[in-house]
Amino acid sequence: MSYRYVIPAVGLIGALAAGCSTPQSSPTEGTSGASTWTPPRTAWGDPDLQGVWRYEGTVPFERPKEFAGRELLTDEEVAQRDQVEKDQAANRLAGFEGAAVGRRSISESPIRGNEYNSFWQDHGRPRRVYKQTSLIVDPPDGRVPYTDDARKAEARSAARYGVGPYESFLDPDTGERCLTDGVTGMMWQGPNGGHNQIVQSPGYVTILHEEYRDRRIIPTDGRPHSSARQWFGDAVGRWEGDTLVVDTTNFLDRTNYEWASIWTRPSETLHLVERFTRVDADTIEYKITVEDPATFSAPWTAVIPILRLADDTQIYEYACHEGNYAMPNLLSAGRADAARRQTSSR
Amino acid sequence: MRFGLKGAAIVIAAGAVFALLWTRVAPVTGQTESYRAPRTVDGRPDLSGIWQALNTANYDLQSHSARPALALIPAPPHTGVPGLGRSKPVELPAQSVRALGAVGGVPAGEGVVQGGEIPYQPWAAAQKKENFEHWLERDPEIRCFMPGVPRATYMPYPFQIFQSADKVLIAYEFAGTTRTIHLNEVQNNPAATWMGLSRGRWDGETLVVDVTDFNDQTWFDRAGNFHSDALHVSERYTPVSPSHLLYEATIEDPKVFTRPWTIRMPLYRRFEPDKKILEYKCTEFVEELLYGHLGAVDPATGQTNK
Repeated sequence: MSYRYVIPAVGLIGALAAGCSTPQSSPTEGTSGASTWTPPRTAWGDPDLQGVWRYEGTVPFERPKEFAGRELLTDEEVAQRDQVEKDQAANRLAGFEGAAVGRRSISESPIRGNEYNSFWQDHGRPRRVYKQTSLIVDPPDGRVPYTDDARKAEARSAARYGVGPYESFLDPDTGERCLTDGVTGMMWQGPNGGHNQIVQSPGYVTILHEEYRDRRIIPTDGRPHSSARQWFGDAVGRWEGDTLVVDTTNFLDRTNYEWASIWTRPSETLHLVERFTRVDADTIEYKITVEDPATFSAPWTAVIPILRLADDTQIYEYACHEGNYAMPNLLSAGRADAARRQTSSR
Repeated sequence: MRFGLKGAAIVIAAGAVFALLWTRVAPVTGQTESYRAPRTVDGRPDLSGIWQALNTANYDLQSHSARPALALIPAPPHTGVPGLGRSKPVELPAQSVRALGAVGGVPAGEGVVQGGEIPYQPWAAAQKKENFEHWLERDPEIRCFMPGVPRATYMPYPFQIFQSADKVLIAYEFAGTTRTIHLNEVQNNPAATWMGLSRGRWDGETLVVDVTDFNDQTWFDRAGNFHSDALHVSERYTPVSPSHLLYEATIEDPKVFTRPWTIRMPLYRRFEPDKKILEYKCTEFVEELLYGHLGAVDPATGQTNK
């Protein structure tokens, strides 16, 4: 079974060389279409992944129910989605928000772009439409294999926005608390498009994620795992040919916090294996396999094409906690709400 | 253990060499021509590694005696007995920090400011004094805010330098703050920032970093030394032995000071095998302090807030 990033012919500038994979094997082995391209190396000889990178695709993380049993969109569906992306980008450029093109809730929108709060999501240009129907490639149904408890937690998480409770600072999610949205989705998620700056030095790969100023320091010098548990675990990397393989364990248990997406929450049994492969000048194929019996009934794998931004792209300071006016406001509103309820129940 | 006697001997030997160099060169320019650092593949001095300051600059950039706590209150003078020494007030730890006992004390330290004096304008000297007296309510470190520059360098946490071709990264442990030092040309920040915009260049053995685009929210230490958004910091990182960098920062801020002034200190290499910069994600450590009283319920007690 072939699993490709198929680039529709319609109006995309620059072809993305296809990384092809099956859920069972590495996407990079047997990569086609990139065979003549030689990945650059750093001055000290490691594959060079440096630059600022961002996922700009429209592929949903989990396969929507309407595509059950289908891994790929038809050409017509791709063309239609591409047109929607262009229209939405044009609308944003023209200054129209949501209502101008039909306001959609995040959950209803098959393709995000003009829903409520879309200013967080402005990519400045049409997003790329790919053929596949989910970023998750394994299990084959393209859905997160939650345990029953985790599924309940996810449902609760999805239902609580704008509803609460907001009794204390422990009620908002880790993102609202300016902590992090988790390391699992760091490479492709983020309200601001998920900018990631990769800087390498001999023996290290560092990744700075603009949002929450999340940072990963990945030694590639063959050292063993450190024993200190951390939010982002302990990452050790190694080079397999042109691929950076990162193994991360020793996470802190933060399942007692609220998470925007339950699949990003760490527990002590979380284990991540990530593979970063530059498949052409502008694309890292990022493959992540996630295992954690505390949240998932089986391991799952997602494959995400991450695009390189222009050389002069900078990431900026994300002073979230320093300017978290939302927290006092949320709590003050929660308190007013509690007082109102108490009065009305008398 | 991999870092045993041999490692200790290296540190001691390196320390001796450094002490020699320090004594000899420090009063002149802060530079040394005697030590040539190993080179990166592109021929630059290799500053990479994990470093830490070992001094009391984060308590106070200037010389200070030991004292019982960062927050003090004057005990009421006892005036009933003629000739009693306690007619002069005694400073005691403030209520909010008293429980920490000796852990909460302030160690004495010699200053790191060249010449000793911080040349405040008169209004700013008064402001600094007031900051000192209101340390507990005002120091941004307490709230886990990004520490700014140069304070990030001499906080009691390690930091790691990574050198690439056109970027140098400094990863600080405190608050997970990272600075990108751009060796290539970059535009100014679109807004004022906590950690500033860093532009670096090589001057012989020294990495020189110009830092601008600051906001006025950070402090230099726990003694209330402060600046405005006109701050311009010029840093110099010079390797002076395999185990030491000489760190100098010249501080200019025409809104607050009458002239530029300079701090100088050694930075020490951390030698522990496989040493890493770990997380100090203090945002979650200060939420109870900042927000515990604001919600309908205080999660520390489970009680309804009044």
